[in-house]
Amino acid sequence: MDLPPPPDAPKPRLPCARRLLAWLSGLGLATALLVVLGMLTWLATLEQIDSGLQHTLRKYFDWRAVYLIPEIGGKSVPLPLPGGYWVCALLVVNLTLGGLLRWRRDWQRVGVWISHLGIIFLLVAGGVAHHFSQRGHMRIAEGASSDTAEDYFEHVVEVAEIQKGQADIIQVIGGQYLTDLTGSATRCIELAAMPFKLELSGWMRNAEPTPVGAKAAPAGVTASDGYCLVPKPDKTEAEANTPGCVARIVHGDGADPETILLSSAAQEPYTLRHGGRVFTIVLRKRLWLMPFTVRLDKFTAEFHPGTMKPSKFVSAITRIENGREAKAVIQMNEPMRYANLTFYQASYDQLGRGASAKMATVLEVVSNPADKWPQYSLYVVAFGLLVHFITKFVGFIQARSRHHPHV
Amino acid sequence: MSDSSSNAGRKLAAALVLAGLAAVFYNLVAVTRAPGDLRTIKDYTPWSAACIAVAETLPVQDGGRIKPLATYAGFNMLAIYGSRSMTVAGNDGKALTLTPAAWLLDTLFRPQFAIHHPTFRVDNSAVLEAVGVKPRAKRDRYSYAQLQPGLEKLEELAAAYDSLDPKQRDAVQQQILDLAYNVRDFEGLLGQFTFARSGVAMGAAPDEQPITLSIVMDKAPKIRDDLATAQREGKTGRGPAAYLYQAASQAASLALHGMNIFPPAEATDRAWKNSGQQIMGVLNGAIPLPGPAIEDIRTLEQTTRALDTGEPAFLTELTRLRDGLAGRAAARGEGRYLDLEAAYNRADWFLNAFVLFFVGALCAVAMWMAGPGRAGRILAAVTLGWTLGGLGLCVIAIVQRCLIMQRAPVGNLYDTIIFISATSVLLALLIEWVTRRRFALGLAPILGTLLVFLSRRYEMGDPKDHLDPLVAVLASNFWLTIHVLTITLGYAAGLLCALLSALYILMRGLRLDRADGELRRSLTLAVYGMLCLTLFLSLVGTVLGGIWANDSWGRFWGWDPKENGALLIVIWTLVILHARLGGFIREWGLHLASVFTACIVVFSWWHVNFLGVGLHNYGFTTGKNVLWTFYLAMLGLMLFGAISKWLESRK
Repeated sequence: MDLPPPPDAPKPRLPCARRLLAWLSGLGLATALLVVLGMLTWLATLEQIDSGLQHTLRKYFDWRAVYLIPEIGGKSVPLPLPGGYWVCALLVVNLTLGGLLRWRRDWQRVGVWISHLGIIFLLVAGGVAHHFSQRGHMRIAEGASSDTAEDYFEHVVEVAEIQKGQADIIQVIGGQYLTDLTGSATRCIELAAMPFKLELSGWMRNAEPTPVGAKAAPAGVTASDGYCLVPKPDKTEAEANTPGCVARIVHGDGADPETILLSSAAQEPYTLRHGGRVFTIVLRKRLWLMPFTVRLDKFTAEFHPGTMKPSKFVSAITRIENGREAKAVIQMNEPMRYANLTFYQASYDQLGRGASAKMATVLEVVSNPADKWPQYSLYVVAFGLLVHFITKFVGFIQARSRHHPHV
Repeated sequence: MSDSSSNAGRKLAAALVLAGLAAVFYNLVAVTRAPGDLRTIKDYTPWSAACIAVAETLPVQDGGRIKPLATYAGFNMLAIYGSRSMTVAGNDGKALTLTPAAWLLDTLFRPQFAIHHPTFRVDNSAVLEAVGVKPRAKRDRYSYAQLQPGLEKLEELAAAYDSLDPKQRDAVQQQILDLAYNVRDFEGLLGQFTFARSGVAMGAAPDEQPITLSIVMDKAPKIRDDLATAQREGKTGRGPAAYLYQAASQAASLALHGMNIFPPAEATDRAWKNSGQQIMGVLNGAIPLPGPAIEDIRTLEQTTRALDTGEPAFLTELTRLRDGLAGRAAARGEGRYLDLEAAYNRADWFLNAFVLFFVGALCAVAMWMAGPGRAGRILAAVTLGWTLGGLGLCVIAIVQRCLIMQRAPVGNLYDTIIFISATSVLLALLIEWVTRRRFALGLAPILGTLLVFLSRRYEMGDPKDHLDPLVAVLASNFWLTIHVLTITLGYAAGLLCALLSALYILMRGLRLDRADGELRRSLTLAVYGMLCLTLFLSLVGTVLGGIWANDSWGRFWGWDPKENGALLIVIWTLVILHARLGGFIREWGLHLASVFTACIVVFSWWHVNFLGVGLHNYGFTTGKNVLWTFYLAMLGLMLFGAISKWLESRK
């Protein structure tokens, strides 16, 4: 039989791995992480006023943000803080180790265990949505159809060969190949079945094509066809940014390369003729092909009488898939979920004027593998907390004495 | 600590609480009371109660719903005059109190009196000096007749200031603009039935009787024919038809933005019409069946002119008008709760609840002073009675509002205040039921007083009808019930946590609790329980909000300030509970942290509305100083607690 250590004997030193495990699963770390997460949430709330939501989210909660320096009212706060993504990741580890694995087997605390499980699930859902969800919008006029949604933020370069007046072969250079081309970085893109390749450089997140004569181009900025791209500060609403970049067209037949400017603010794509073939090159928001076509049969916008306060927006649509048609209604708070996509009533518009004017609906399209996970986690968390607090409350009621002296 | 010093501390604390309550009471009375002397209006006679009762239930479509005239009048009067009660005097000098319906009846039907009512509140005499009107005092109320010499200048200045960025306007410029808006609104009310009193004159002879608009409307087809003929013959703008058309259009123009009191003939048309629309619709031939519209105008003219005969005749005609309109509304399935809403307005439940809570708060102070003896027990029962009375009135009011709105009780910021008033008082009484230590019993009426006071002040600062329908995204009783109520209950629980902890800190810091360990333990347990409840409600409410957002906006979490505020409450309560579980904070620490919960709740509930971003943004610009004062008070209390703890640990 082992004897207990003498009272004044030093505590045995735990191995490093055990100490690390104890620290990672400890309440001290949990408390500290929650405090930091609270500070990040509060500071991000204030910073989005000046910097816009997308910029703030990238700064505070993107996985690439290891640490950050907050700003309030445009002024830096000298308080380096860890990035929110990593704080949440560490919190998941802490919750898993401390809240689930190292849980004291005590039936009175089973509610806490269940609620920790639900919170972990909720945080994981957030991570999955962060990495794997995508969203865009689809604008359709009454009677018209669409099978593509436009991304809100990602811009791509589309190169298409035009045959019989229509884009035939389309090649897309994704945003991940463009956004890092700042400074002197250049990327050469080989285009299959195209008689030329593109050398892309000089990416600007927000830029305005400006006639060189009207405004002097900053040093080192490429000018083409009498225009140059002048960088502009980011818009508070990031989706309103109009990025631009420089593209050098290198022909496969050894002809002289030509340099063009690509801007999402351009009205028309750049047209290139090569050996009797016609190509277009354009920088635009990414189009996202749907697995079915949506036709807008009727759009109804209702307002509370005598006001401009909306009471109802309803899109009656037909889903067309492999020749089969299915009717559906999309309205506020009642999205259409189909084929792992969710369509929401986002906005509306009027296309054209006068008698030929048509109502158009704007549907938000979201693909999120964790779409319903928060709901499931809520059930788990709420059940766990209820069990715990009812257990506590019953214990309190049982223990209380009704005969204490009054205040 | 000796008993005598503890008693002295109690007296001091009681004096402070009483002073605070007195300040609240004075503030509420001061902002509603008309400054300056009693205005005498020559030959003024009050409306009979019967007349006012009929007028109050006249249906009006405003803000997207059908409401009784009492509500419409109340918010117009609150916006222009700053109160729902005006006092004037007649020839005998006796004070007469005008209700909103009486004030509006004067404005619509007796403009000769209305222009002398002290309707316009001016809080800075510089506004009047700027428009060339001699001010009566620094802060006073003025009649339309008194402002008349400066109205042209007022319009000129308002046009200039309106084009400025609101952030660039100084206080006087903003007040000039507000006064100009109020004058325009008042003129809109004042002039809309002028056509019914005056008709249109052909101008042929000096003693010619004016023609009523309903007669002109009867002749509309002939007028249009004559106008068309004149146009064909190149005589546009000349002849009696053209004159009549222009005179009628001019008379109707004052009513084109008036009250929408006429239900349309077509069942599918949801927008009610005003007098101007009825007149112009018939004159232009836009109304295919003009008969009912002409009859509407004729009834209105008869009502207006009946006043020349005397009030009994006016009452008869007004009743006929009201019954006709209410009957047509009922036939369309509208205006079902007009009588209930008029009764709701008359009852003024929240003002009465304020009075009951206020008396309850005074009794609570006396109860705390009396201690545990017989007097204390009696005072506890009395406090409970007043508090339950106040709570009962709040509950009745909220239930009536739900019936009128046909939706869950919380849909806008005003709703949250009254809901939190009722639920926080209820929660405090539940704590009292569990603990039986009278600290929560005493807090309940104080909390009720403060929150109902806040609702009154908010309504004065934002005088618009908070019963109006909601925008499309909020029009879901399911989500309004399960998400909004849960979050709002979380706010109530969080505020109560902080208040209980504030009581703990003050009692222990000022040695008012006679070092009663049991009492401290009860308070600590109550705070712990409320923190758990706050966490549960805020967490569930936040996730429910995310699920709602996922169904309406396509994302679970959008980092909207309101969402972040709710998350902050969740995180902060988790911090406190984990820190306590880990032994990083003990009793003092728990209460100090719990007081800070109030700052986070107020940030989430109010402050995010000032930020100007997000989908929950209300665009507030004034009142921020009150928030900073609140934060400072809470931080000051935490500092006081920290110093008390330090002093205690040195002993």
